[in-house]
Amino acid sequence: MTNQRLLIRVLLGAVVPLAILVIWHLASAGSVVVPSIGAVLDVLVHPLREPPTLDATSLASGALISVLRVLCGFGLAALTAVPIGVWVGRSETARHLLAPTMAAAMVISPIAWIPVAIIAFGLSSPATAVYGDEAWRYGMLDQVRFAIVAVIWLGAFFPIAINAAAGAGGVRDAHIEAARVLGANRRQVLTKIILPGAAPAIVTGLRVGGGIAWRVIIAAEIFPGTRGGLGYMIATAHEQASYEYAFASIIVIGAIGLALDSTLRLAAHRVSRWQPKER
Amino acid sequence: MADEAGVIRFNAVSKRYATPARGEVWALRNLDLVCPARQLTCVLGPSGCGKTTLLRLAAGLETPTAGRVTIDGQPVTGPTQGVGLVSQEGALLPWRRVIDDVALGLEIRGVGRAQRRDQARRAVARVHLPSEVERSLPHELSGGMRQRVALARALCPGPRILLMDEPFASVDEPTRHHLQSEVLNVWQADGQTILFVTHNVEEAVYLADRLIVMTFARTVADLPVALPRPRDRLAPEFVETLLTVRRTFTERALTAADG
Repeated sequence: MTNQRLLIRVLLGAVVPLAILVIWHLASAGSVVVPSIGAVLDVLVHPLREPPTLDATSLASGALISVLRVLCGFGLAALTAVPIGVWVGRSETARHLLAPTMAAAMVISPIAWIPVAIIAFGLSSPATAVYGDEAWRYGMLDQVRFAIVAVIWLGAFFPIAINAAAGAGGVRDAHIEAARVLGANRRQVLTKIILPGAAPAIVTGLRVGGGIAWRVIIAAEIFPGTRGGLGYMIATAHEQASYEYAFASIIVIGAIGLALDSTLRLAAHRVSRWQPKER
Repeated sequence: MADEAGVIRFNAVSKRYATPARGEVWALRNLDLVCPARQLTCVLGPSGCGKTTLLRLAAGLETPTAGRVTIDGQPVTGPTQGVGLVSQEGALLPWRRVIDDVALGLEIRGVGRAQRRDQARRAVARVHLPSEVERSLPHELSGGMRQRVALARALCPGPRILLMDEPFASVDEPTRHHLQSEVLNVWQADGQTILFVTHNVEEAVYLADRLIVMTFARTVADLPVALPRPRDRLAPEFVETLLTVRRTFTERALTAADG
């Protein structure tokens, strides 16, 4: 790409954010509710500062708590959904057993499971599991509540499993047979044919699941009963009318989400390189 | 049974499939066929005559409904070591680079990376692929090149038996001729038993020691091809054989259809 084209691309990409900033600036002038750009920037450049007006931890630790929760739930979802999805994709029995439930569960918003998750897990966390009543001392660890992790897991599980199933089911018989004739056993057919063949679909599922997990965590943290995290900060900022924290949180949510998606998109590109571009 | 080494034998083999559209279909009915060791046997037949099923049974990818298939005198119960398969277009692994796809058989057997790459390189050179394509992905290659890779992959582990399922059906004619010579070169050097399935009469006459005509799940003719090699497609005796085979093919196919 030439420098000129790159410049045009960057300028075009900046149009909408700049317009938003202008509208924001105009809206904040003379408003007591809409925080000024400066106030929000002040929060963003001091990420470690405890909010003086809020019953919440710093922006950075809130972000870290949200990220930790997502990584736990998403990691569990990846570990469970990929094998189950591949199984559903390759076994008719598994398909008949699980596909209807998966299709139904897929359309339920993960947020709807929050009460169920709280009934199931209460306020337990890795910290309560290990340290019992002393758990509160281990702040960060105590914040990774099982109930929240379970909701993230539910949100990410189905897109990953359904994509893995589609990918594994779409692996061509000719490829499997080529390996079998060359002497491959079942395990080798799985590792050398089915998993590489399904990899682009699996990574697509991870990307969708990761996006859902990140959206769900913010919503889950807004629910009462949670402490810490960016969603919690937005909810508290709203209650205390400290909107600069809500705005700053939204910006951080966007930035982290973008980083998460870029990472997964890079992974998707890497494992899909062998696929010819459709024209 | 030393005299059975390299022999593929079909004894009264029948194969029935359940199809959603047409119910139960016989792909093979009570078929007897012997492919002698080190010979190149071509099975010639129209689409749907059961010739691919024949090959899949020999490859151990299917089991017969009745009768039995043996290789080296041993009943075929699954894929057999020493048997290579070259299929129609599309059996290359799209995510593997040529060199790694060719080495797949060795990788499956647990051969170390350096050694299998070495052997794969030799297989690639044997089928006259330029060494630059070693790092290519299948979709970057022409159809003819892809089939060369498929041949190299089958040859790489050093098979004694090669099963070829219309391997050159979708490449253009000049390329097809090159690939046919490639098969003959390999066969003349290594002496595999080759069972080659095709619907192309000229290809069968050019390649075969012996030509089996199949229609409607049965063999209907067994014609030795005694032309000297290398064969000249324009020589009068080649053309004569070609016409004889074509006539037999048409007549027997029609008779079988009436019966």
